[in-house]
Amino acid sequence: MTHPIQPRLTQVFRFVRHSYADGVAELVYAFDQGEELIERVRFPAPPALTPERKHAFNAALRLLHYIAGVSYYKAGVPPKIEVADGPLDDATADLLEALYLHGLAEFAYRNGLDLRGRIAFPRSGEPSGKVEAAALHLPKRTLVPIGGGKDSLVAVEAIKQIGGEATAVWVGNSPLIAACAERTGLPMLNIQRELAPGLFELNRLGAWNGHIPVTAVNSAILAVAAVLYGFDSIAFANERSASAATLEYEGQQVNHQWSKGYAFEQLLTDWLHTHVASDLDYCSLLRPYSELAITRAFAKLTPYFDAFSSCNRNFKILGPKPADRWCGQCPKCHFVFLALAPFLPKPRLLAIFGRNLLDDETQAAGFDALLEYHDHKPFECVGEGAEARAAMYTLSQRPEWQEDTLVARFRSEILPQLDVSQLALEPWLHASGEHRVPVRLQAALAAIG
Amino acid sequence: MTSNAPAPLSSGAPWIVMKFGGTSVATLPRWQNIRELVASRRAEGARVLVVVSALTGITDALKQLCAQEDKGKRIEAYKAIAQRHYDLLDHMQLSVPDTLATRLRELSKLAEEGPAVMGELAWSALVQAHGELMSSALGAAFLSHTDLPTQWLDARECLAAVALPNQNERTKLLSAMVEAKPDPALNERLAQLGEVFITQGFIARESQGRTVLLGRGGSDTSASYFGALLKAQRVEIWTDVAGMFTANPRQVQGARLLQKLDYEEAQEIASTGAKVLHPRCLSPLREPRVPMLIKDTNRPELEGTVIGPEVREHAPSVKAISARKGITLISMESVGMWQQVGFLADVFAHFKQHGLSVDLISSAETNVTVSLDPTENLLDSDAIAALASDLAKVCRVKVIAPCAAITMVGRGMRSMLHTLSGVLAEFGQLRVHLISQSSNNLNLTFVVDESVVDELVPRLHEMLIAAGALRTDDSALFGPSWQSLYGSGETIAASDAWWRMQERERLLALGAEATPRYVYHLPTVRKQARALKTLGAVDRLHYAVKANTHPAILRALAEEGFGFECVSPGELKAVMAVVPESAPLLFTPNFAPREDYAWAFTTRATVSLDSLYPLEHWGDVFRGREIVLRLDLGRGLGHHEKVRTGGSGSKFGLPVDQLDAFLRLADAHGVTVRGLHAHLGSGILDVKHWSEVYSQLATIAERIGSVAFLDIGGGLGVPSHPGEAQLDIAALEETLRKVKAAYPHYQLWMEPGRYLVADAGVLITRVTQQKGKGSWRYLGVDTGMNSLIRPALYDAWHEIVNLTRLDEPATALYQVVGPICESGDVIGSDRRLPEAQEGDVVLVAQAGAYGKVMSSPYNLRDEAEEIVIE
Repeated sequence: MTHPIQPRLTQVFRFVRHSYADGVAELVYAFDQGEELIERVRFPAPPALTPERKHAFNAALRLLHYIAGVSYYKAGVPPKIEVADGPLDDATADLLEALYLHGLAEFAYRNGLDLRGRIAFPRSGEPSGKVEAAALHLPKRTLVPIGGGKDSLVAVEAIKQIGGEATAVWVGNSPLIAACAERTGLPMLNIQRELAPGLFELNRLGAWNGHIPVTAVNSAILAVAAVLYGFDSIAFANERSASAATLEYEGQQVNHQWSKGYAFEQLLTDWLHTHVASDLDYCSLLRPYSELAITRAFAKLTPYFDAFSSCNRNFKILGPKPADRWCGQCPKCHFVFLALAPFLPKPRLLAIFGRNLLDDETQAAGFDALLEYHDHKPFECVGEGAEARAAMYTLSQRPEWQEDTLVARFRSEILPQLDVSQLALEPWLHASGEHRVPVRLQAALAAIG
Repeated sequence: MTSNAPAPLSSGAPWIVMKFGGTSVATLPRWQNIRELVASRRAEGARVLVVVSALTGITDALKQLCAQEDKGKRIEAYKAIAQRHYDLLDHMQLSVPDTLATRLRELSKLAEEGPAVMGELAWSALVQAHGELMSSALGAAFLSHTDLPTQWLDARECLAAVALPNQNERTKLLSAMVEAKPDPALNERLAQLGEVFITQGFIARESQGRTVLLGRGGSDTSASYFGALLKAQRVEIWTDVAGMFTANPRQVQGARLLQKLDYEEAQEIASTGAKVLHPRCLSPLREPRVPMLIKDTNRPELEGTVIGPEVREHAPSVKAISARKGITLISMESVGMWQQVGFLADVFAHFKQHGLSVDLISSAETNVTVSLDPTENLLDSDAIAALASDLAKVCRVKVIAPCAAITMVGRGMRSMLHTLSGVLAEFGQLRVHLISQSSNNLNLTFVVDESVVDELVPRLHEMLIAAGALRTDDSALFGPSWQSLYGSGETIAASDAWWRMQERERLLALGAEATPRYVYHLPTVRKQARALKTLGAVDRLHYAVKANTHPAILRALAEEGFGFECVSPGELKAVMAVVPESAPLLFTPNFAPREDYAWAFTTRATVSLDSLYPLEHWGDVFRGREIVLRLDLGRGLGHHEKVRTGGSGSKFGLPVDQLDAFLRLADAHGVTVRGLHAHLGSGILDVKHWSEVYSQLATIAERIGSVAFLDIGGGLGVPSHPGEAQLDIAALEETLRKVKAAYPHYQLWMEPGRYLVADAGVLITRVTQQKGKGSWRYLGVDTGMNSLIRPALYDAWHEIVNLTRLDEPATALYQVVGPICESGDVIGSDRRLPEAQEGDVVLVAQAGAYGKVMSSPYNLRDEAEEIVIE
C-alpha cells in the first residue's frame, strides 16, 4: 500500500492527459506522484466526429481538461502546475490563470489562503494574437443550459419567442433541473459529469475544500458539446449583477459568481473564436439586465411556478410540496422571494414558496445581508444590495405587504437611514448596453425587457 | 335466476332508497351486483327505489355536445353516446327497450335542433338530463329481465323545484333546489304501481314544466329528496368507499371509519373536507328523521357510515379532523372604530366589491380577522392588493398567507376541551392566526401556517386518539382504519403478541410466584433485529442501549451483529462487559463532563460531539481524533417548522448555524469530522422522515469533505393501540435506497432502541384492591410508576390485560393504578377489562423499552425482578 497522500502538503498539480472516445471524455490529473484522478464526462448519443470539426473539438476538449482541473487543484493548492501536453500559449494561460485566481477567490478567502502569485501555468511564450479560428459552419441553433432557477427559463422563453431553435441542456442528474427542462418543451440534452472518486478520498484525507467556479466548468463542457453535436451558440442566463464583487479581502475582489460575470464571458468568447471556431458564440442572454428586470419577466411565466427553484439546497429527491423545492432559509430563497414580490399577487407568490419569508422574524439576518445592512452580500448568486433595497422599499409602500414583520422592521429601522431617492424600482428595469450576444440572437434581448 | 319471489308487500311496507353512481352503472357485472343488493332489500320486506347517475363519462360527453356549435358535430356526439348504451345492452344480451328508444329519439332531436328553440340554458339542462334518463331506462330493462320486476319512474314527476330569491336563470335551471316533505299521496300512488322502482338522480322539474338540474352532488341529493318524500326507512348511498373517515385518508393512513354520525356532524365533516358526500344532501333528511347509510359497492360486507338523528348514549368524542389549505387571512386592526354604526358593513362591502367571499371570522375589540378561501381570482388578480389599499384607508391591514384551517368536528366540542390539552399544547408551538368555535358547538378550527399541515394533521389525529378525545376504543362509533381497508400493498397487522397465547401459562405461573416482574422474550428481540437486518440500504445498525441494558438482550443483539450506542461511561462499561470485542461501539453523550470524553477515547468507541464547548475549552482531549458531529436539524433547514421555536428548546445537537464555527474549531485542533448524526424524535411511523434526515445530512456533508457516514438515528415507531399499522420496513428500505442512490458516497448508520425491545418485554403485577368513586372505578395493582414511569412521564399508552381472565368479557371500565403515593400513579385510564379480583395477574404490554431502566426506588417499594425467556 502506498503512503496516504497529505493533500495540503503536495508540491505539484499535474494535468496528466485527456482523451475522448464513444461519447466519453476522460480528464486525468494527479498530485505529485500520487494516484491518477480520472474524471469522466459523458455525452449521450454522440454523433460521429467529422474530420473538419476534429481540430476544433480537440481544442475545446483540451480547454475542458484545463478548466475542470480547478476542482482537483483546489484540494492541495500546490505551488507548481505541470501540463503533460506541453506549455500553453499566452491567451490560454491568461484565461486559466484569471479563472483559477478569481474563480477560487472565495475559496481562498474562506480558507485563509492567498493565491496571488501562486498560480502559474507553463507558458510557451506564444503571444495572444487575435487570429480567428476557421469557421465550422455550425447549424444555427442554440444550447441553453437549464439550472432549475428562473433565469434560464427566462432565456428559454425569450429564444422561443423569436422563433429560435434551441436545446435545453444540463450537466448532472438533478431531478429538479430535469423537471424544468421537460417543462420548456424543448429538445433536451443531459450530459453527465463524474468526478474522480479519488477526490472524495482526498477530502477524507483533509484536502482543502470550498467553492469552485462551476459555471466555467459547465461552459467548457458545453463548448465541447456545441462542436460535437453542432450548435453555433451557447446562451447562458447570467445577469448583470453577477459581475459585482461580494466583498474585498486584502485588496482582492472576491466574487462568488466570478465565472458568471462579464469578464469571464469575454475571455471565453474570445478564446473560443481564436482557438475553436470563429462561428461558435458563447454569451449570456441576460447580461444587460438586473435581477429585478429578470424576475419581472419571470413573473409572467406562470407554467413554471410549480416546477422551478433557485434554492441553494441541493434537492436530489423531488416532492410535490413547495418545501420540497425551497428551503426557505438560504440567501437564494430570500432573494428570489424578495425580487418576485413586487411583480406577483401576494397569494400567488406565497403559494410558490409555501410560506411567507418576510413575515418570519427569524429570517431577519438573512434579509439584512441581502440589503447589505450590518453585513456583506452573501456568498451566493444573488442580486446587488441596492436592488434588494429597491424591492424592499417597493413592498414597504404596498398595503398588502407593509405590516409583515420584516417589511415593518425595514420601514421603522432601516428606511430612515436610507436615501429614498436611491430606492426606486424603475431604473433597475432598464437594460444596459453591455453584452456579447451574437447578432442572430439579439432580438431575444428585447423579448426580455 | 331463480324465481322464488318473496311474498307481495302490503301497501304500508317501508321504503328503502338506494343510490348508485356512474361507475356502478357502467358495466354488466356492476348491474348484476346492483340486482343482488336490490333483491336483498326487497327480501327484507321493503319497497325499493333505485336512484342512478348517468353511465360514467356520459354527463361530460353531454356537456361537450352542448358546447358544440356545429350541428354535424352534435349529431356525431349523440351517436357516440347512443353507442355506449347499445354496447352495454349487448353485454346484457337485451334488445333496446322502448323507454330507452324514446329517450334516444328525443336526445337525437335535441342534438339536431340545438339551443335556438328552447334557449341555451333550458336546452342544455334537458340535454344533460338525458344521461340519467337513459341509464335508468336501461336499468329498468335489466332488472325486470332478471326476474326483479322494476318500474321506471320519471323523477321530474315527483321532484318539483322551488323558486328562491336571488336566483338567476342559470342557477334556477342548472342548480335548482327542491323542497321535499313527506308526501303520503305519492307514497300511496307508487305502492299501487309495484315494489321496485328505478329513477334518475340529478334532475327535477320547475313550475313552468321545464327540466332542471340539481347541481353538484345532485344524485345524492335526489336520493335524499326521495327519502324525505317517501319518509323512507333509510337512504343508502352506494359508492367506492365504505363511508366517512376520521380524517382524509390521503393525509392520515390510520384514519378510522366513522360508523355513526348525526346529521349535523356529518354535514360539518362534509363541509370541512370529506369528499364522499356533498354537504347539501343531508338537510332534506333531517326533519323527517330519515337515516342515511353510506356503503361501499365493492365491499358490501363493511358496515359503512350511518348518519341519523343525534344519539345521546355515546360518550362525547371528536369525530374527525380535517385540513383545508390555501387560505388567506386578512387581519384588520383599528382602535375604537368597530363600535361605530356601519363600520363593519363598510369594511365588508370592500370584500364584496373585490369579489372576495369571507369564510371564518374572529374578532377582538381592536381587531377583526377574516379568512378567504383559495380562488383563481385571489391568486392571479390584483384583488388582494386592491382590497388592502382600500382597507388601509380605515384600518391597519395585514395579509397573512398561505394558511390552512385545521378543524376538529364533534358534537359537544366545548365539553371536550379538557381532554384536548395535549393537542392544544401542540398548537402552542405554532403560529396560530385565528381560532373559531361555532355556537352550534360542533367544531373547533385553528388557522395555522400551511407549511406545517402535512405533518401536523397525522400527528394531531394520533394525539387525539392517545388523549382519549377521539374515542377509537368505542367500537360502536369507530370502525377499521382506512389503511387496513384500502391501504396499498399488504397492511402489516400486528401479529398476535407472544404473551397472549404461546407464553401465557408460563407468565401466569411466574405471576403466581411473585410480582412485580419484568419478563423479556428473547425470540421477539431476535425477530425485530432480523426485521431491521433486511434493510439492505443500512450499512450499520446500533442498538441504543438506554432502552434496556439487560445482559441477555445485549448478548442476543451482539449475536445478531448489532453495534451498540451508549450515552454514558456506565452504559459503555455494561456493554463492554458482555459483548465481544468486534462489536462496534458509539458514545453519544449529551452535556457530559470532560473526563467522560477522555475516558471514552481510551476505549474503541466512536465519540460524538454536539456542541462547541468541548472543542473550545478541552481541545487537547480531542486533538488528532476523529469524531461524529450530532446536528440539530430542527432549525435552519426549513424542515420541521413546528419546532421552529422548539428547535432551540431541545438540548440536543449542534444548531446548523453554528456548523461553520464548529468546523473551524475542528480544523484548529486537527479533529476530523468523520460522521454526521441527527436524531429526529421517537415513535415515528412515517418512513419518509429518515430519508429526509439522510438527505439533509448529505447536503451538509457535501460541504465538509471528511465525512464518511451519516447516522440518521432511530425513533422507529412501535404502535401501541390495537389496530394501528406497524412500521412498514419494506417501505423504509425503498425510501432509504432511493435517497442513498442520490448520495452514494456515504455509509448509512441507524441506531434503533425501542423498536428492538419494546414488544419483547412485559410487566406482570397482581391486583391488590378496588375502589369506586362517583362513576369512576379504580383497579389497584402491586406496582406502578416506580416500575414503569412512561405513562406518568410521557402519557404513554400501554396495553393492559387481565391475564388471569383473558377470555372473559371486558365489561368494567377501570382506572388502573399503582400503590405509589402520587396522584399521577396511573398506569392506564378508562380501560375496558373483565371484572377483576384480588390476586389476578395483570400484564402491562410493551414494557421492554424504558421500563426497568427508568424504574426508581421511590416509596421504597420492592423493585421488579427481571426474568428472561430464551
